[in-house]
Amino acid sequence: MNGCIVAFCCEHSAYPAADLAGKLRLHYPENLRVIRVPCAGRVDVIHILKAFENGAAAVLVLGCEDGACHHITGNTRAKERVKYCNMLLKEVKVDGRPVAMFNLSPNAPHKFVRAVNEITKIIKESGR
Amino acid sequence: METKIGVFLCNCGGAINNIDFDAVVKKVAKFPGVTYVNLSSNLCLKEGREKMISCIREENIERVVVAACSPEFQEHIFREVLEKAGLNGHLFSMANIREQCSWAHDGDVTMKAVELVKMAVNKVRLLQPVEKKELPVNREVLVLGGGFSAINTALQLSRVGLRTTLLEKEAALGTGPEELESFYGFDTGSMISAVEGDENIEVLTSAQMMAVEGKIGDFSVRIKKEGEEISRKYGAIVLATGYQTALALDSEPKLRAKDVAISGINIVSQEQFCRMLRNSSLETEPKTIGFMFDFSDENSRFTTLATLNNALEAKKKWGSEIYVFYKSVKVDSEGMEKLYQEARDCGVVFLKSEAPPRITAENGRVKIEAKDVFLGEDIILACDVLVAEELYLPAEGAENLSSLLSIRRDSRGFFQDENVHLYPVGSEKKGIFFIGGCRGDLDLGRVLADISSVVMKVHELLSSGKILVAVERVKADPQKCVACLTCIRVCPHGAIQLVRVDGSKEVAEISDLACDACGICAAICPAKAIEFQGYRDEEILAQIEAIQEL
Amino acid sequence: MESKNVLVVGSGISGVASALELANEGVSVYLLEKEAVIGGHSASFCCKATDICSKCSACVVFDKIKEAVIHPQIKLLTNSTIRRLSGELGNFRVEIIQQPQYVDEEKCIACGLCTEVCPADPKAIYLPFAGATPFSYILDEGLCLRFRGERCDLCQRSCPTKAIEFELKPKERELNVDAIIVATGFDVFDAREKGSLGYGRYPNVLTGLDLEQVFTREGYLRLPTNGKEPRNIAFIQCIGSRDEGHGYCSQVCCKYAMKLAGLINYQNPDTQVTIFYIDLQTAGKGFAQFYEKYKESMRFVRGVPVEILQTLSGELEVRFEDIYQGKVCRDTFDLVVLSVGISPRKNSWDLARILGVNLADDGFFDVRDPLGSNETNVDGIFLAGTCQGPKDIPDSIAHGIAAASKATQVLAESASQRRGN
Repeated sequence: MNGCIVAFCCEHSAYPAADLAGKLRLHYPENLRVIRVPCAGRVDVIHILKAFENGAAAVLVLGCEDGACHHITGNTRAKERVKYCNMLLKEVKVDGRPVAMFNLSPNAPHKFVRAVNEITKIIKESGR
Repeated sequence: METKIGVFLCNCGGAINNIDFDAVVKKVAKFPGVTYVNLSSNLCLKEGREKMISCIREENIERVVVAACSPEFQEHIFREVLEKAGLNGHLFSMANIREQCSWAHDGDVTMKAVELVKMAVNKVRLLQPVEKKELPVNREVLVLGGGFSAINTALQLSRVGLRTTLLEKEAALGTGPEELESFYGFDTGSMISAVEGDENIEVLTSAQMMAVEGKIGDFSVRIKKEGEEISRKYGAIVLATGYQTALALDSEPKLRAKDVAISGINIVSQEQFCRMLRNSSLETEPKTIGFMFDFSDENSRFTTLATLNNALEAKKKWGSEIYVFYKSVKVDSEGMEKLYQEARDCGVVFLKSEAPPRITAENGRVKIEAKDVFLGEDIILACDVLVAEELYLPAEGAENLSSLLSIRRDSRGFFQDENVHLYPVGSEKKGIFFIGGCRGDLDLGRVLADISSVVMKVHELLSSGKILVAVERVKADPQKCVACLTCIRVCPHGAIQLVRVDGSKEVAEISDLACDACGICAAICPAKAIEFQGYRDEEILAQIEAIQEL
Repeated sequence: MESKNVLVVGSGISGVASALELANEGVSVYLLEKEAVIGGHSASFCCKATDICSKCSACVVFDKIKEAVIHPQIKLLTNSTIRRLSGELGNFRVEIIQQPQYVDEEKCIACGLCTEVCPADPKAIYLPFAGATPFSYILDEGLCLRFRGERCDLCQRSCPTKAIEFELKPKERELNVDAIIVATGFDVFDAREKGSLGYGRYPNVLTGLDLEQVFTREGYLRLPTNGKEPRNIAFIQCIGSRDEGHGYCSQVCCKYAMKLAGLINYQNPDTQVTIFYIDLQTAGKGFAQFYEKYKESMRFVRGVPVEILQTLSGELEVRFEDIYQGKVCRDTFDLVVLSVGISPRKNSWDLARILGVNLADDGFFDVRDPLGSNETNVDGIFLAGTCQGPKDIPDSIAHGIAAASKATQVLAESASQRRGN
């Protein structure tokens, strides 16, 4: 999988935002792979770790804006899990594997593209 | 077990033009389990769909992948195609090679397209069928409250053929703010008669809800009425429990509006002032009246309304001099700007100030001191009566009710979380609704819209007596469940409860009616006992495994 | 309920909300829209989230439009208006005229090649706005050179999917419906009517709606004149509200201004925002906490300016009365946003005449009874949304659902009356 960015996209926010980005022909790096989930809160630590195990350069978890989760607490749980993952990876001394959470709305294609570009920049800066 | 997977590619009438479909077809045909690959230009159109159906039948395809546009707009259409072809609609996965591939990147994206198809194939290989079933639901509705909102909700529910119980903790119906009648000119008495004469409405006064269990379509409620316990079942619960007010003096709620004037000087609430206006045997008509609002609480729509109505009425009835101290008049409700202009035209004096006025007693009158914004000077007014600022607060018992029902409240303690997706009248739990005052709204126009909205939503849910559900789409395996209660505590929709199986063991059971398919429980279960069809761990991991350089 | 048909006139958020409620009950809904795209004004509003959701509800509109488009019980009729109405509750006959859609929405892939080659200025073929539904380019007859007699078919020739056809005529059809819900929305107040504020003359004077569309299109705000980040922005409230022609508060402007300002500040923390107001409308669920935050970071000035002048250096000089100092002041800004209000649609009169429905004095559709703002003077015709009076998005949704509710109740009653119950 060398160098792919795995993006877990919530079906209420990030997935439609990614669609809209495509409709508007807003381009972002080709190495993004989207996995659609019903809520960012469905994403488990094992999913994130498996992505790295398979060679991912970075993992994104994208959910609804703070206070606008369709399932009320899903995005908050996702945020905590992402924090935990980063801590875990640091503890086992696995460097340069960024996991980041972004919040956005379905009608915010620019925010989606910004998130992908930001994580791409972080990957480049960490020298991978 | 190798199942026969059919992959249907579509180039969307030529819209997808940076993918080498021949190469894709060649690669996809080699994926394990794929027995049929086909390229079309119009899968979503009628002829494309009909061709798909015949293909599925002729080739004995058991699972389907469509690689085309976004599932957001077409997934449900293709699921129907599967059903028509004799397959379970859930044995389907879509690869988005248009919006999230062809259109998102410059240049040739064939490699990415192949990977996206592989991800979908990996997932579809593991999918399990999900059936649909109609479950019966209780058609009766419980309405908590006995004021304007509750009464009118019950009347409208009756109009659409639903039976309602009105549950009111006081001894009689109609115990809402008296001002409403005089402001809006409606007749509470005739509304109450209508309710009492309606055979679809049962009225329980001096009654309170003690416990609630269950979920939409099947709430079990225990009610205590005058010492007696009553058990009932309802399909939906509507909260129309209103609000309360408290006087805000010295920027601190001190007195409830029901309390009498303090320290011998005349400081009253809006409600008390209303009563003064209606009191034909009032000793002395106040000559100078002061009103105050919008200093302690930004949510002053109701106090704006009350002030304007009371001020106008007092002007007309007593011809008093009336001064209104305020920061911003809240006119963002229907008819308010007109009322405000009417009051000004009638001679009511409005004094805008930034800081709350200082209130003291002097010679038996109320002294108000404030700095007027426009004059830039201090105004000192001695008045006979001050109608003090009121805070609009959640009703007594709101906290208790929210814990009985396990529902969230907003930052001010009113019902309904401030999540826009719940607006106007919903809660995070299906089958529970909020109206008007108890959720923080208070002008009549908005309350009326709330009432009709709830009636519509409840009717939609319950009128047919059954609700279509996906059977066991999310399920806790009783063999693996250790009844740690984590999922029950975490489910944002209150869809999980503990049930007894095999006579002894207690396990978590997820209600097909109440579940909103978020998967938060599946992620958090420490025993990995919960399976969410379509988003099981193995299904997600299989997609990840497909991502590699080919 | 037996199989019913309802016509919803207008596909803005309120019409869509009405349509969805009825459709979910099994009612067949015709969703009529005079434009080529559905969703009305709020479909082009931007998400105003900062680090938290600002509860503007623009995403709710997005969700509901998508739901309506894919709902099997809702039939979309775009480019359509009502020509004639006859009949009554339970049996309305509606004559519809559907203008030709020169760009076939099913074939259009929104590649933009047609816009590139279009010789007209402004372009006659374009995408209405980002996220337009149906997602298709539209050909504006009024701007097109061919429809003005010239020989031009550049767009047709450039289209890779052959989606463009010129030889199309308006279509007529008749609908038979049990009830009608009018959800025709509002007109945005034309800020050019307040000439002294410079809208239409100075490129850096925008309206609130312009700002929404800039964010939807670009994702960020830059000065129209030089593309730089604005450093100093003024919002002016009550433009077309609470004045001689509009004796009402538009209900949305104070909140949208503060939320837009909040978004701008989140993206550019150094930008200074000033809000000129009469009375700040800060009431409503969940808003007080935003106001607490904004009070600290924004400058609020009592008093609405009456004149804006552009200086030689391109800045905007705003002349206003500083109430506290008691004198006229001038402040310069690089961008001014006019918080324009909600006005009744100018063409409401036509529709009112065709339907036999009354308009109120302020130009909005009139209600039969102040205790029921969805019912008109005609049995079976209901009102939803801002066509009845100003409302924000959540209130428009509630009003739309309420209209569907009233229609359901009235139809249920008339059905049981006919059955002799």
